Amino acid sequence: MDAFFAAVEQRDRPELQGRPVIVGSPPDQRGVVSTCSYEARLFGVHSAMPSRIAYQKCPQAVFLPVRMERYQAVSRQIMQVFESFSPLVEPLSIDEAFLDVTGAVRLFGDGPAIARRLKARMHALTGLTCSVGVAPNKFLAKLASECQKPDGLTVTPFDPDGIRAFLAPLPIDRMWGVGRKTQQLLESNDLHTFRDIQRISVEQLSRYIGQSAAMSFKQRALGIDQRPVGNTRPEQSISRETTFPEDVTDHERIRTALLDLTEDVGQRLRRAGWYAGTAQLKLRWAGFETVTRQRPLVPACRDDAHLREAALTLLARLPLTRPVRLIGFGVSHLQPDAQATTGQLTLALDHPPAGDPKQERVSMTIDSLRARYGPHSVRRASSLVTPLPTNK
Amino acid sequence: MKVTIQKDAIISGLQKVQAIVNPRTTLPILSNVLLRAEDGRLWFTATDLEVSVRASAEGQVIKEGGITLNARRAFSIFRELPGPEIELEADDDDMAHIKSGSADFHMVGISEDDFPPLPKFDEGQTFTLEQSQLRDMLLKTHYAASTDETRQVLNGALLSFRDDKLMVVATDGRRLALVEQEMELPDETSLDLIVPSKTINELIRTLGESGSLKIVAGPKQVAFDFGGMLVISRLIEGTYPNFRQVIPASSDQRVPIEREALLAAVRRAALMTTDQSRSVRLNFLKNQLELVTESPEVGTARETVAIKYTADDISVAFNPEFLMEPLRAVESDEIFMEITDELSPGVIKADVPFLYVIMPMRIS
Repeated sequence: MDAFFAAVEQRDRPELQGRPVIVGSPPDQRGVVSTCSYEARLFGVHSAMPSRIAYQKCPQAVFLPVRMERYQAVSRQIMQVFESFSPLVEPLSIDEAFLDVTGAVRLFGDGPAIARRLKARMHALTGLTCSVGVAPNKFLAKLASECQKPDGLTVTPFDPDGIRAFLAPLPIDRMWGVGRKTQQLLESNDLHTFRDIQRISVEQLSRYIGQSAAMSFKQRALGIDQRPVGNTRPEQSISRETTFPEDVTDHERIRTALLDLTEDVGQRLRRAGWYAGTAQLKLRWAGFETVTRQRPLVPACRDDAHLREAALTLLARLPLTRPVRLIGFGVSHLQPDAQATTGQLTLALDHPPAGDPKQERVSMTIDSLRARYGPHSVRRASSLVTPLPTNK
Repeated sequence: MKVTIQKDAIISGLQKVQAIVNPRTTLPILSNVLLRAEDGRLWFTATDLEVSVRASAEGQVIKEGGITLNARRAFSIFRELPGPEIELEADDDDMAHIKSGSADFHMVGISEDDFPPLPKFDEGQTFTLEQSQLRDMLLKTHYAASTDETRQVLNGALLSFRDDKLMVVATDGRRLALVEQEMELPDETSLDLIVPSKTINELIRTLGESGSLKIVAGPKQVAFDFGGMLVISRLIEGTYPNFRQVIPASSDQRVPIEREALLAAVRRAALMTTDQSRSVRLNFLKNQLELVTESPEVGTARETVAIKYTADDISVAFNPEFLMEPLRAVESDEIFMEITDELSPGVIKADVPFLYVIMPMRIS
């Protein structure tokens, strides 16, 4: 979807159409731009830019808070549009998905034809525009979808030589899996574009980034990607973090923020159907130094009670001697059931080996109450030290 | 205070208590050992506020009194003194004067008034047994206790007094060690004490081969009084999990195995494990136990131990560390392994009544 959060706001409030809209933190508080409309992008504003700077670049922009529930509701509509074209839909994020339309060709025409229909139906049903990439595999499709935004439609070549040529001029940071660090590493070795990776031998590349990364980068540079479309992408981790509006020394406030994050992570974990094998706490002190602490969860769990216990144990390991700027909580080593498919089995002591069904039921009941009556309908009493949201 | 004492006596007294002293504590007084001259003895006391230990040694008390000194430094000094006799004097400014032969030390101390007093409790149930009995029971079980601080109730050993038996249990949720000992108890005795691992280790270190031991159990603390030593420990609060439910009532196969041979074989096989694949597979074959470890990045190891076994082949994988610990802790020449299948708990029995339950590792 194009500038998804901002586009939803503009659609919901027609008076914002044509105006620069920035969704994220207000400019007088710490925090960043989550999404901005294309009107704002003309001024040099982009996602993840501190709101303060965004304001300097575009003072006339309308700053709006993130209404995640609203976007999630629209996301469900979007996914329904996708599903009307193919049963093989793999959501990549709240506003992106891969569709395998191999089986839909007879019904709707070839790839580009399906893409045009999809864009039309999307606009008709949601009033939103999207950018589509049509390609022989997921990696190329994702790249192509980013080529002409907004409202774009890009079709990649389907033959190996054509794919190679299509990719060659792209800068290295467009490759999936290349972050800032890897980019620096590659560029310091004079590797700047896909063409450079296409030409270098795997052996040579391994020396810079290790063998397994070298193998997969090489494949991607050639546009090779065998991953099937499906709900198979193993989630690596689920995490949430929050930056305080001002640095915090009040332990109770830090603790409450952590517990709120823990519940949020717990809810996502349960919705995704995983059990977590590891819990991680992240703290950023005033001055930006960041520390993380993690611990294994044995047995793996997905209920709030156990996640809270882990979060607080981790917090207790970090003496809060300095003001805190940011706190985060995450889980990883996600697995389909509490007992790992490999590894050490546990005795059936008071912690039953299959997670903690009772606590899971409690957490899931709370999840469904919140889904029905809103996220603030059920709260921990301790979280009431922060004011209740006013009804809008 | 002023006392003269044999070097050997002061060294052995300090050795008994100093394991408790935490050298890196935020309270300097807890890095110190209290030395008190009284009743013809020099008394040594150390505490970390959870466990307190007191020992004593015979000496010639010239003037009663006490002082606290940094335990580590004091021990180093006493150990290096020429001896054989040491004169220790503390003045009113909390300075210790240590003389022995040609050596003359003046060491800054902290007043004994600042030292946390030993917890006192007079009421409590009292049990008496042989020091060596308890030491033996702790040695056979303590290693199975958990170090996971979120499961505090498992961070120690359970001492359970009931039915004319003392039972000691330790578990970390993956394996469980249990040993029982008959002992005369007052009628209707039913008491569970969860003793922290630190205390257990101190007891293992200091309990003797002979002599009796008195245990006095209060609601929150327990005291072990033996051979001139007094160990007072906080008890871990909470209810120990119902461990009986994890002890298999029966197993399909009960296989006698020579303990030393099995231990040596596991130890060798374990050399091929890594952090990623930390398991040894036990294949129970006809009259032969085969142990196999395979780590893709390291290599493989294969061992065989002769056993009497004629039933169907069974294959089960364990963490080799969890297998070796009980094999080291017991003394009998032969142990019994009871196994059912690759996902059911295995049981090791030896030196009746020692019992060890070990959960397998699942291998993909």
